[in-house]
Amino acid sequence: MVFKNRRLSLITGVFILFLVVSAVQPADIPETPSRYVVDLAGVVDDATETKLNGYLQELEQKTTAQLVILTINQLEGESIEDLSIRIAHDKWKLGQKGKDNGVLLLIALKDRKYRIEVGYGLEGVLPDSLVGSLGRDLLVPYFRKGDYSNGIFAAAIALVDTIAKDAGVKIEGMPSIKYHTQPSGKGQPIDPISTIVGIIFLIIIGILFIKNPRAFLLFLLFSSMGGRRGSWGSGGGFGGGGFGSFGGGGGGGFGGGGASGGW
Amino acid sequence: MTKQMKTILIVVGIVVLIGVMAFGKIIAGYNQIIAMDEDVKGKWAQVENQLKRRYDLIPNLVETVKGYARHEKELFENIAQARTLYFQAKDVKDKINASNQLEGVLSRLLLLQERYPVLKANESFLKLQDSLEGTENRISVERKRYNESVQTLNTYIRTFFGRFYAMIAGVSSAAYYDVPEAEQAVPAVKF
Repeated sequence: MVFKNRRLSLITGVFILFLVVSAVQPADIPETPSRYVVDLAGVVDDATETKLNGYLQELEQKTTAQLVILTINQLEGESIEDLSIRIAHDKWKLGQKGKDNGVLLLIALKDRKYRIEVGYGLEGVLPDSLVGSLGRDLLVPYFRKGDYSNGIFAAAIALVDTIAKDAGVKIEGMPSIKYHTQPSGKGQPIDPISTIVGIIFLIIIGILFIKNPRAFLLFLLFSSMGGRRGSWGSGGGFGGGGFGSFGGGGGGGFGGGGASGGW
Repeated sequence: MTKQMKTILIVVGIVVLIGVMAFGKIIAGYNQIIAMDEDVKGKWAQVENQLKRRYDLIPNLVETVKGYARHEKELFENIAQARTLYFQAKDVKDKINASNQLEGVLSRLLLLQERYPVLKANESFLKLQDSLEGTENRISVERKRYNESVQTLNTYIRTFFGRFYAMIAGVSSAAYYDVPEAEQAVPAVKF
């Protein structure tokens, strides 16, 4: 009995520790992004963020390319070019090692500046001139109106679309950029992968619950860790764990390719 | 075996051991400085790649601008001159000087859009400008990495053992790619 209590208290201890750690998240740029959309400035609405996390995860699964979006309030004395290469190349190491297929879309809100940093391996697919006009034509018009969500959405899906087309894959349910005006709203089609993942999760949960209630408790703990913001498209209760969450940079390199601009 | 012989053997053993260790250390130091030197050379090659890219872009950009700004003959000549200077440069220092010289005239070329607003609406000018800005940024990234590598090498060469290893490996300190303050500032447009 004593033994059992001890284990229980251990589990409780870990749980409390986890709560404390997650509560003391600093506001500055994290060591590794936990999602594809790191909205530190808080300008992207939840619906857009959820969709983008989904598309970007699918992009990585299908092409291994890592595209991460970061919004910050303000540059602290650093130029946006310096900050963006520091984050993309030195800190997060976006893209896979050897493939160097990372992209960082960085927005500095108060400075009214953005930069699209392109990894070595994608410079051919996303040349500076393309990235430059993409920013001017898709992102800037929305940003001028103060509509950051749609600006980021439009620019991001154009980037995703270009990378996916080059790799010969299709991102399920992603609107085509030409028709895109309003990303929010109308019933998003349930994508089959997340449905399958969801069903598998439910089965696992069922088995765990029957066989070992304590393990089930642990599972709950871990799933709350991964999917706290429940970005799972079809809206299941548990098992958000993993969907839309970023597995960490793969060690890709950047050489300063891409384009910057202001609005 | 006498006691004396034993002592001699021990002394010889210690001397040999020290000799082997010292030799090992020298080999390691030698290898290290060679690796540093190669790193500097590799990083410089990256800088050169990007510089070359810049010089390949310039004629296209000049051609596009020429159509709108026929009166800027002097500027175009300066650019052509600075470009030739770079291709004539033989060593790293000359290349750095030549590209610094070009940087000033180049920003004046990009500033032409202030005088000829019609350029701003020209898609091919904007695209070339994107490419050139991208290249400039790549140059500054590679330049930074090159300078960091040079710093590692030069610092090591200044240490006691470093100097010794550099001497036996025939490695000398490398030149930093410095950008003069005057060039960094955006030049004023003269009317």
